[in-house]
Amino acid sequence: MAKYRTEIQQMMFVSGETAEPSAETTTLIEAIVQGQVHEMLRECTALATRRGSRSLSTDDLMMLIRHDRAKVSRLRHFLQWKDVRRSVKDSDDKGGDAGADVAGDADLAAGVVGGGGGAGGPVPEAGKKAKRAKVDLVWDVHSFFSENPPTLDDVEDEEEEEMNYATLQRLKNADERTKDMTREEYVHWSDCRQASFTFRKGKRFKEWAGFGVITDAKPNDDIIDILGFLTFEIVQTLTEEALKVKIAEDLYKKSTGGEPQSHLKRKRERGLFDPPEEAREPIQPSHVQEAFRRLQRGNNKARAMLNFTRNVHRAPLRLI
Amino acid sequence: MFTQPSLHHSSSRDRQQYARFSAQPPNAIHLRTPNPTLSDEAMSNGSNNNNLGEGADTMAEEDPRAALFRDHYSRSEARLMALLGGNTNYLETLDDGAALFAEPDSTTQEPRPAITPKKPARTIDEDDYGDDDEGDEEDDTNASPLLSKSALNGSAAMPIDQPNLKVPPLSSKLGFRRTSTLSLEPGRSSDDVRQKLQQDKKAAEDAAKRSFHTLFYTLENDRDAMLEQQKLDELDRQVDSEMSGQGPNAANAGAPAAPQQGSLSTTNLGSSSLTMKHLIARIDSRRDMVHASDAQLRSLISEVRKNRSKWANEDRIGQEELYESMEKVLMELKAGEHAHPFLQRVNKREAPDYYTVIKHPMDIGTMMKKLKQLQYKSKKEFVDDLMLIWSNCLKYNADPAHFLRKKALYMKKETEKLVPLIPDIVVRDRAEVEAEERRMRNGDADADGAEDSDDEEPIMASRGRKAPSKGGKGTSTARKAPPDLVEGTPGPDSKPQLNNAVANLKNEFLRADSDVSMEGSINGLSTPPPGMSTPLGPNGFLRSGAPGSQADISDADGTGVSVSGFTLESEDADLDDLEYKTWKQVTKKDRAVIAAERNRLFRGDHLNVEEPAILRTKAGMRRWLRHRKQAIAEDSAEASVSAPDGKDGVQTTSGETLAEGMEGEDERQVPDYYDPVSAIPDINERIQWVEDSEGQVIDQNEECMRMVPKGYFTAPESALTKKMEANMRQMQETRKICAKIGIVKQMQLQSQMYQNQFQKYNPQPFVEADISPMVVSEDGPIMSPHVCRAALQRSVGKVFYHAGFEEFQPSALEAVTDIASTFLQNLARTFGVYRERPKIRSEMPVRTSKGVTTNWIPRFTQEEAVLHSLSENGVELESLESYVKEDVERLGTKLSGMHDRMKSHLAELLRPALDSSAGADGAGAFNDGSEQFVGGDFAEDIDEDFFGFKELGLDKEFGLASLSVPLHLLQNRMHNAYRAQNTNNASSTGVLMEQPPPFEPITIHNITKEIGLVQEWFLAKLHDNNDEPLVEDEDLPPKQRFPKPRLPPTGKITSPRKRPLREQQMMQRKKRKLEDGKEDHAGNENGGGTSRGIANPVGKLRFKPAQKENQSVAEPEKDDAGAVGMISPESILAA
Repeated sequence: MAKYRTEIQQMMFVSGETAEPSAETTTLIEAIVQGQVHEMLRECTALATRRGSRSLSTDDLMMLIRHDRAKVSRLRHFLQWKDVRRSVKDSDDKGGDAGADVAGDADLAAGVVGGGGGAGGPVPEAGKKAKRAKVDLVWDVHSFFSENPPTLDDVEDEEEEEMNYATLQRLKNADERTKDMTREEYVHWSDCRQASFTFRKGKRFKEWAGFGVITDAKPNDDIIDILGFLTFEIVQTLTEEALKVKIAEDLYKKSTGGEPQSHLKRKRERGLFDPPEEAREPIQPSHVQEAFRRLQRGNNKARAMLNFTRNVHRAPLRLI
Repeated sequence: MFTQPSLHHSSSRDRQQYARFSAQPPNAIHLRTPNPTLSDEAMSNGSNNNNLGEGADTMAEEDPRAALFRDHYSRSEARLMALLGGNTNYLETLDDGAALFAEPDSTTQEPRPAITPKKPARTIDEDDYGDDDEGDEEDDTNASPLLSKSALNGSAAMPIDQPNLKVPPLSSKLGFRRTSTLSLEPGRSSDDVRQKLQQDKKAAEDAAKRSFHTLFYTLENDRDAMLEQQKLDELDRQVDSEMSGQGPNAANAGAPAAPQQGSLSTTNLGSSSLTMKHLIARIDSRRDMVHASDAQLRSLISEVRKNRSKWANEDRIGQEELYESMEKVLMELKAGEHAHPFLQRVNKREAPDYYTVIKHPMDIGTMMKKLKQLQYKSKKEFVDDLMLIWSNCLKYNADPAHFLRKKALYMKKETEKLVPLIPDIVVRDRAEVEAEERRMRNGDADADGAEDSDDEEPIMASRGRKAPSKGGKGTSTARKAPPDLVEGTPGPDSKPQLNNAVANLKNEFLRADSDVSMEGSINGLSTPPPGMSTPLGPNGFLRSGAPGSQADISDADGTGVSVSGFTLESEDADLDDLEYKTWKQVTKKDRAVIAAERNRLFRGDHLNVEEPAILRTKAGMRRWLRHRKQAIAEDSAEASVSAPDGKDGVQTTSGETLAEGMEGEDERQVPDYYDPVSAIPDINERIQWVEDSEGQVIDQNEECMRMVPKGYFTAPESALTKKMEANMRQMQETRKICAKIGIVKQMQLQSQMYQNQFQKYNPQPFVEADISPMVVSEDGPIMSPHVCRAALQRSVGKVFYHAGFEEFQPSALEAVTDIASTFLQNLARTFGVYRERPKIRSEMPVRTSKGVTTNWIPRFTQEEAVLHSLSENGVELESLESYVKEDVERLGTKLSGMHDRMKSHLAELLRPALDSSAGADGAGAFNDGSEQFVGGDFAEDIDEDFFGFKELGLDKEFGLASLSVPLHLLQNRMHNAYRAQNTNNASSTGVLMEQPPPFEPITIHNITKEIGLVQEWFLAKLHDNNDEPLVEDEDLPPKQRFPKPRLPPTGKITSPRKRPLREQQMMQRKKRKLEDGKEDHAGNENGGGTSRGIANPVGKLRFKPAQKENQSVAEPEKDDAGAVGMISPESILAA
């Protein structure tokens, strides 16, 4: 275990945890993420089998997260840019101008606009937009019809708007955090942003995720990339939730007078004499557990059909 | 006044007339009888007699009588004139003498001329002769009794007038009739008074009863009522026990009843007699054929008769009626709430000096005793006793503030109210009456008539309540119908006594009673107070004033006291709420009974197990129902009080009387809620057992029938459904374009095309069919699981279609329908759970929709309940909203975007070099076969003068706006395919030029018409063709046709003649074949057409199966359960 301690730490840093989380915390998070990935693979395999295919497809993964529209939107965004990057890479061989683009792509791929990209971001984007292939969902409108006409250029890509409030908020937070960073800090930040479970660690990831054990299918690159994206999302969500838990806990402690904390939790309200960030208490495993519990708590949808019956509802693992 | 001039008068006066005549030279009137005819003398005598009688009467009576006569005269005069014509006619048929006399009689006899239509009947009557010999003397007596009687009865004028009017025209026994009417009349008039009072009382009761529906009365007084009632009962028992020894003796004091004269029908038996009315009439009419004595008949009938009261006594005339009413009054008073102190004798221990102050003590109990002992002979005695009680009380308790005074005054008032209800009757012994009557009859001394009349005497007279009902009436009847009836008081003359003696001798029904005693009693009775003897005006005064004056008299001790008492009393009466008071009075007894019933159960403060349970009775339930109906009727029709009454009567007899009479109907004057045991729950009117007038059960099903409302099984119109349907239509439109694109693509790939390869995509519109009109008999939802399920299935199918599934497996539909129905059931049940939570108490009173203010509010409001149940079932508002936004609205925009893309795609396919401007008006241009579109001006679009038209200047020459090339020149294959599909579109282009008539085929016959040069050639051709007519090239079978140059589908003329000519020709021919094959398809049965189909690859087009599906729409709801094939929403929608 604990194969991804640094990655998780980096991801947590990007997600808002400024202090150094303990090994227990990262291990716990890793276990959770691993469980999620296992679950996803299992589900995907089941879906693929139902389709009559032996290999997983991106659609299967998309299918798993289809209810989280924001996430789907981000994933599509990611896939589009991945596509762009690949084509750029292809054209790179012919000596294109894509060198600069790759970095920007990565930024965009992670869903962060601005930051280090600064002014450089939008410019290459505008150029590449035309090349961006649309990642269609299998259940989208075009599947209704037997013919698939080419897209019209003037059709607005309204999917962009699907980047919902949460995504924008995330970007805003990142922007705020990076605003006052020194150069070194920003380098560190952008390093952290590169963190991935999969990037350049394909083999380790496959092993870790249980390919070959859970599913026989040989995952293609796309699958691995999507999983990498999703695992990052999981860690991010978990961290954010755990932070919320922690803030609430601190507030509670402060209000009840028990063990007064000497520092405020919200960095934006840091006072002059607050201790430095390093001194802050990192997220504890208990916080993560609470966050996980909260994220697992679903609505009654799964239970709805069991109302008025005596059947016990065994909730499956919820994908975060 | 009673001398009737004509023989023909049917009124009872006639009889008296005859009686008088007999004293004169016998003027027999009748045609059939040998009696001497009437003479003027007789008439004059009659009048004289009358005059004499008047004279004989007290002078005091003179004036009123004169007035009476005058009045009478004027009326009868008028009547006479009216009847004159008829009389004369009739009289002409009579004996001469009679006729002769009759006329002048009627005219001359003005003073008493009641000429009635009865005349003829009267003439037929033979039985009256015996009466003729009544003497003049009787007139006097007749007259005075009448007066006294009328005075007593209080209706003076009526008895005189009415007989004329009322006597039935065709009675053989005129006497009976007359007497009956006579006796009835005064009775009725006094009855009227009583009825009126009864009605008043009844009205009070009704009012109280009405208030039952509007007021709730508590049970607090019930205990008092019960105790009082118990005391009353006690008293009754006491009286009874004291009476038990002597009662019968007293009751039977009278000797065996002598037959009283009168017909059976004379007697008014009240309601009970109605049942036997016909029988009695019959017996009367055939009296001579009945071989039974009157006594026998009487006893027989009286045995048979129902409802005989306990007071009835053969021998005591008038007793029954008098006593019944007296008892009623007494009971009424006794039951009053203030009666308590007067129920028993005053105890000497309680009031030591009472008997020194009060010399004549009296109490209700004593009165009861006296009543039972039959000690009361007349109303007056009774009333006097009553008043004595109150006056005693007032006298003894002189203190104005004494509480007993109030009670006494109240009771007195009550008494005054009730007293008029008692008829003025003097009880007389039958023997006495009969003796008198006989005496009078015998006075006639006419042998002939005596027996007859005797026989004829009404049997029922004795038992009737009515005949004897008027003390004075007896006398009046005697006066009016001397022969038949009880005689009037004969007056002091000796003659009646003589008569009487004769009668005694003669009559079998000899009475032992002395005339004297009888007479005395009669006299006593009939001697009216001075004022009363005046018949007319004084009567009225008397009646009205009587109670008051009597009260005053009986008040005896100081009028001042009584006056003050009256004022006090009026105050007292208002002590209680009037309604409440009436209520207490009216219901006292019944409340007492009910309370006693309950008390029995709970005596001693514990439940008495041994006591009989309080059970519901049929009578009680009927009563309950009746009250109910009344209440409803009063609610609905306040206007007329009488109407509901009558209706109630009808209802009680018609509707609810199935069980009527099965149990004793003891009417209770208590509202329904006092008798909760008998309450009947509401029954839906439709399931009640109702019979019509013929006793048939009314089938009330029709009223329940109703049509199932429209749209019961269709989705309700809403913005969401409209959007969804719009989306679905959009999908269909887009699919149409898809189909075209598919065809085009296919054509580009394939060299050979087949007609059946391209099925036109022609989707059905979505129609939600409702169920056919249906009639149901119940309200509420329609329980039809299959239809409901089919409707849900249709909705599910629509959602499927909306989600993009053009078709789906029936099993999938089934499964989803099941899930949906389960889910919806759960949702509804959850909602029910939240709705039906117990109410909670709120701080603020809430006004409900029904206007009731209550502190209890539902635990959840409607919105809360809805939200809770949604949340319980995993539906969040956000998800619902996002569904509408994303999956419906945005889908719509996506679909329309997709539609545009499809259109432009098709346009691109059809027109390789299409620019955007051409598609300005969208794909609408495509709809009519793409003709103008595809055949458009692409040459200009691409700025190329393909055909050199411009070069040639053709455009200018022909004024062509655009040098379009017809589509079939470009892509004839596609064109043909389209034509096959859109035949209507092709034709819509219209025929610009008339097609020239086809050339006449050249045959061997008409070859000579051709020019000589070609004849040879044609002949050769014909020869080749076996002399068959030659066919034009155009009409040749495709294979033999010479190829024509064509443009390739690309529309581009590639390099000319790349291929060898021959090859090209072959190819062209093929194309040609294809083209013409369609035209000749019908005629080409040589297999050419079909053989072409072999090379056709299996259609790759996805819509093909769909087409099939869409065409096989024939799977409506009935087989949707078992349908194996794929189904599409359109087919389901047919459900």
